[in-house]
Amino acid sequence: MMKLLDISKKYGEITHKYPFEPYKVSDNFRGKPAYIFDLCIGCAACGIACPSNAITVQFNDDKSKLIWEFDCGRCIFCGRCDEVCPTGAIKLSEEFELAVKFDKSALIQRGELDTQYCTTCHKPFSAKRLVKYSFECLSKANVSEKRLEEAKNYLCMCPTCKKTATVATFTGGKEMVIE
Amino acid sequence: MKCDKFIEALGTRVKILEVTRQCDDQVTALVELNDLPEAVRFLYYDMGGYLTTMVPNDERSINKHYALYYALSMEGGKMFAGDEIAQDEKCFVTIKTLISPDSLVFPSVTPLVPACVWYEREAYDMFGLVAEGLPDKRRLVLSDDWPDNLFPLRKDAMDYRYRPDMKDHYMEPEYEFLRPEGSGIIDVPLGPLHITADEPGHFRLFCDGDTIIDADYRLFYQHRGMEKLAENRMNYDQMGYLAERVCGICGYAHAIACIEAAEKAINLEIPARAQAIRVICSEIERLHSHLLNIGLACEVTGNYNAFMHIFRIREYSMKLAELVTGGRKTYGNVVMGGLRRDITGVEIKESLRILQIIETQVDEVWDAVMDDKRQMSRWKGVGILDKQVARDFSPVGPNIRGSGIKRDTRYDHPYDFFKQIQFDVAVVEGGDVFAREMVRYMELKSSVSIIRQCFELMPQTAIIVDPTFHVKPENYALAYVEAPRGDNVHWIMQGSAQKVFRWRCRAATYNNWPSLRFQFRGNNLADAALIVCSLDPCYSCTERVTVVDIKSKKSKILTNADLKNFARTQKDSPLKDLR
Repeated sequence: MMKLLDISKKYGEITHKYPFEPYKVSDNFRGKPAYIFDLCIGCAACGIACPSNAITVQFNDDKSKLIWEFDCGRCIFCGRCDEVCPTGAIKLSEEFELAVKFDKSALIQRGELDTQYCTTCHKPFSAKRLVKYSFECLSKANVSEKRLEEAKNYLCMCPTCKKTATVATFTGGKEMVIE
Repeated sequence: MKCDKFIEALGTRVKILEVTRQCDDQVTALVELNDLPEAVRFLYYDMGGYLTTMVPNDERSINKHYALYYALSMEGGKMFAGDEIAQDEKCFVTIKTLISPDSLVFPSVTPLVPACVWYEREAYDMFGLVAEGLPDKRRLVLSDDWPDNLFPLRKDAMDYRYRPDMKDHYMEPEYEFLRPEGSGIIDVPLGPLHITADEPGHFRLFCDGDTIIDADYRLFYQHRGMEKLAENRMNYDQMGYLAERVCGICGYAHAIACIEAAEKAINLEIPARAQAIRVICSEIERLHSHLLNIGLACEVTGNYNAFMHIFRIREYSMKLAELVTGGRKTYGNVVMGGLRRDITGVEIKESLRILQIIETQVDEVWDAVMDDKRQMSRWKGVGILDKQVARDFSPVGPNIRGSGIKRDTRYDHPYDFFKQIQFDVAVVEGGDVFAREMVRYMELKSSVSIIRQCFELMPQTAIIVDPTFHVKPENYALAYVEAPRGDNVHWIMQGSAQKVFRWRCRAATYNNWPSLRFQFRGNNLADAALIVCSLDPCYSCTERVTVVDIKSKKSKILTNADLKNFARTQKDSPLKDLR
């Protein structure tokens, strides 16, 4: 019994002053995923990777915007989104104070991205930023000017129209030179 | 090869229809339905097996039958020195049998091997398979007002999101407790919600004065239907995370066991470094779990001072987990093929510093607790688990090692990196609360040494192999991980489209609950909470998918004098002390 009191004396006070002082977590702590809207291209890689469906990427009702939505209440902090994001728009932060008072909607974070409409059928199919990002990647990939111009065309088409266009080119009997 | 010896011996007793090998140390023997009890009994008692798990399975889409798999760990009876199978012959033998969907009846193994009781009760709840001859046919897993003809794990039974309507409380059927006969017996209900219990579980203690004569319990108040969920909508990437959430303490062990079961079924070998890190993380988990339990064992006996000190030390182990995995508890680390996060040199250096702190401070506090006579008198001679009861019910972890039986999966069936690691299995004779806490203390020491060895031996390899793999439908395997409370066993049968066909997750405490009743008997009411605590029970883990002594109905009522001799006397009124 007395021994325990000696130990108390030896180690003194060990509690932290938290919340009156900030609590320092270790490096590489896996806290709430922080979202940087400016970097997000709306590729939905995070939405597919997320095992608990905390992240969803879908069009709004009139399809004028692509909505990226994150529900912190569902998040399990595994960091898959961080791993798969090509632009670093989502990174696990050191934030761990996640409680909300009564209002559960405070757990939800949203990002609205402009929709890209198909140049052929005018249907919405992706985010403008994703098209732009893909083009930038291609322009850095050392492809010829002509091919790039062609790619620009294709990038702005929805998958269905792209298929139709490709089939039309191949079956049209036009001669092509692959550069 | 391994296991052949046992199959051969079994062949002399019963007719074996088919033998299939899952991996190097796992073999399944298909026997006829009527031979089932004899086959399991023979392997269990005559050949030295312990019941690892039992899996009922709806295989109507495969072979038009329901199947039962009794998995036995062949390791020797271990009742006396030398009663053990040679290290390189230890293996798992599974007895499989098929049940026709027209009869839905199978002969119960429980009268011969008591360890099967919870498993067979669960088989009825989940699949509607009736164990003929099972002395205790009450519901185990599902609530008493669950619809009678709905068996959730049958493939065609229900959508995984379906929730049957609840009955009003006055309409709810009464759960019958197995109560001893005799006059002057008082029922003391404990729970489902009780301040000394961290999770819901209802204990009915039958007392004569302050002495517990018998006990019965109803658990599974928070059954979560994880198995159904995984079968319906999870892929292997997601399952690891779900398995991790089976338990709030030994989640990592569940994650490894789950993923390894899937890996074993396709014979996927993961890199050595990943194996080492899996061992490190599961040992860190053991550190914080054992510190938690030793702390609570002090707390329920009123020793708050020691409790606070032990939790102070436990904080270091939580820091350690945060350091190497990025999360204090849910590590989100295990994926099929390896791991997602490596450990850096800086982290290893810091970890070794923290380990040193934990090691010295645990010794200091443990010495102080050992010196405390009042604390020792509350622990010693309380909640004794008899060696023979332990043999009959296959308990696991510190619970059985405290009864002097050397069962430790890390030693019996070394997995992952444990093949390269030296450690002593902590075994203490006595079977009381003190013995179990002593086992935990010894394991704290060995965990620290295991983590150090891993840091030293782990090679610089990749931590994940190319995740392109093809699961083969209908392949199954068993994976076992020694969690802080005993072995967590996961059994996975793979289905098509990268999904599981059947996932059976058996948490360690599931095997420990059945023998708890024997540990209660003859003890003082004041010690009830302590006895439950010394099991380090994990209510909700068991609750994904419960045990009662069947023989009790025949058991004689001990006289008051007998009990008084058996139980330790305490000066204060225990009812006052019953916290």
